Amino acid sequence: MSATVAPARSGMTSASYAHVVWAEFTKTVNIWLSYPIMIAFWAVFPLLWVMPYVFQGKALVGSMSSPSFQQLTGSGNYMAFVLIGAMISTFIFSGLWGVGNSLREETYWGTMEYIIASPTPPLVILIGKTLAEWAWSSLMVAFQAAIIGIFFGVQFTVAKVLPVMLLLGLLMVGFYGFAIAFAGLTLLIKEVQGYVHTLEWVFFLFSPIRYPVQVNPITQLVSTLIPLTWALVAIRSIMLVNQKPVNLWRTVIVLCAMDIVLLVGGYFLFVWLERKTRRDGTVGMH
Amino acid sequence: MPAQAETDTFALDVDRVVKNFRRGRGLRRKITKAVDGASLQLRSGELFGLLGPNGAGKTTLVRCIATLLIPDQGTIRVFGHDAFKDSLFCRQRIGLLTSGERTLYWKLSARDNLRFFAALYGLTGKARDKRIDYLIELLGLKEVERERLERYSSGMKQKVSLARAILHDPDLILLDEPSLGLDPQFARFIRGFIKEELNRRLGKTILLTTHYMDEADELCGRIAFINRGRIIDVKPPEQYKRDIPHTEVLHVRVQGQPDTSAIQALAGVERVAFEFEEGVTALKIVAPRAEAVLADIIEHLRSQSKILGIDVKQPTLEDVFLYVTGTSLGEDTSEHKPEAE
Repeated sequence: MSATVAPARSGMTSASYAHVVWAEFTKTVNIWLSYPIMIAFWAVFPLLWVMPYVFQGKALVGSMSSPSFQQLTGSGNYMAFVLIGAMISTFIFSGLWGVGNSLREETYWGTMEYIIASPTPPLVILIGKTLAEWAWSSLMVAFQAAIIGIFFGVQFTVAKVLPVMLLLGLLMVGFYGFAIAFAGLTLLIKEVQGYVHTLEWVFFLFSPIRYPVQVNPITQLVSTLIPLTWALVAIRSIMLVNQKPVNLWRTVIVLCAMDIVLLVGGYFLFVWLERKTRRDGTVGMH
Repeated sequence: MPAQAETDTFALDVDRVVKNFRRGRGLRRKITKAVDGASLQLRSGELFGLLGPNGAGKTTLVRCIATLLIPDQGTIRVFGHDAFKDSLFCRQRIGLLTSGERTLYWKLSARDNLRFFAALYGLTGKARDKRIDYLIELLGLKEVERERLERYSSGMKQKVSLARAILHDPDLILLDEPSLGLDPQFARFIRGFIKEELNRRLGKTILLTTHYMDEADELCGRIAFINRGRIIDVKPPEQYKRDIPHTEVLHVRVQGQPDTSAIQALAGVERVAFEFEEGVTALKIVAPRAEAVLADIIEHLRSQSKILGIDVKQPTLEDVFLYVTGTSLGEDTSEHKPEAE
């Protein structure tokens, strides 16, 4: 029998939590890479993704621009408008879906109990999952942005990209607050699809992803409560020519305020739901 | 109850723990008592068994100790620390192995699984790699350490689970049905590893739950009988066998399903348990003097079905369990648990 090799017990520190985030990140990526068909799908997805929008736009207005659209938004470039909305929404919904569903996956794999029984809070695991989702979504968005730039005349300069990245970052923070709350909800209700899809369609209806919300006074009013609206309006005003100008700093302040509410709310909801799950005895159930 | 100073020396002190499960809503709401006032004390370095049939509350109690479940009442202390007020301390010192092979990442290798779980316990860098190398060697996983777990047999996966349970060198190890579903060769290896390596050589405190009587008898210094959420008794296995007030148990196999309540009603019969499988009923009849009731039992069974065999045996731990609780270890008692008030 070999001599015992026992590790020194040091307890959890900030550095150990950083290691957990990295371990979770690499684990998530390694599991993704073990499904080659999914990799192949996502490699061609950015190319396929744009086609339905092009065909839909051509069928409706007969070309790539529309005078009535110009009246509402200031720019007649319908395609660029919709593609930017689709790109940003893909970015945040994949994060919402990925992070919200991640703990559900752990219960399917039977590993959730071992995470919960360890000295690492599950929220640290969620940060690792968030980073993995974020890295993947960013890669997809970069592909999509390249397509928009090449085929639809949208120019990406440093002066445009930097404020867009700031807005995207603020948008993501708030959405991950949502996603954390969803992750907590999946511990309890063992179902996430219905809730995420409902939320997606609420956003599709009440924020300017596919159409300008000014077409209806109710959607216009409700849309102001959704961070995606603020980010999309500002990003389009930066990226597209002839868009109605927006006050960037006002948007940044509104998004920061929304981020605080969503992150704090998401955190407390998650902690409460996790504790409730431990009380109910449903941690490992799926 | 032990005095405070004594309590602090226990590796594990479970005191009057109650855990109810609530299912359904409104008028259909049903509350089941999974653990009903369970108390246990494990000394440091002890290999302690928790023996009971399926649904007895063993796994629920282990999950409470592992902080996966919050009890409704009672306290759990690990090396003197409250498991819920000082959960980080306790989780660092507890190693957990649950039954079932789906507790690991099948798309990752054994080494990658262990690297991930090591991070959850603050193990990093060279110390982590050396520890993983040591465990992989110790458990005979060297040849397959970089293969995905989906290609492993159940026994190999259980070895990886065992490596994960002791990865952070815990002082208290909770093993919930560690050999369940394994073929005899792997089950023997796992039992040997628990007894010789973990308990004797490393001096770990181990709480082992099982419904395999042989496993508890072979491994454990003391055993608690648990039935319907209650700890019935705690003793060394030999003492259980000594304390049973008779020396023989009748094992009878009959075709079909005879009326066992009539046998139970016979004068001189203390307990009757039976298991029905593939058209054959295996009866265990506990009586102070087996030969005194044998003729009555044969006569009764002959009138209903064909007797396939009769054997008189020395009592095993399973017979003691039957004698003490009136329940066979092969039964599933989850449907018979009392409802909470």
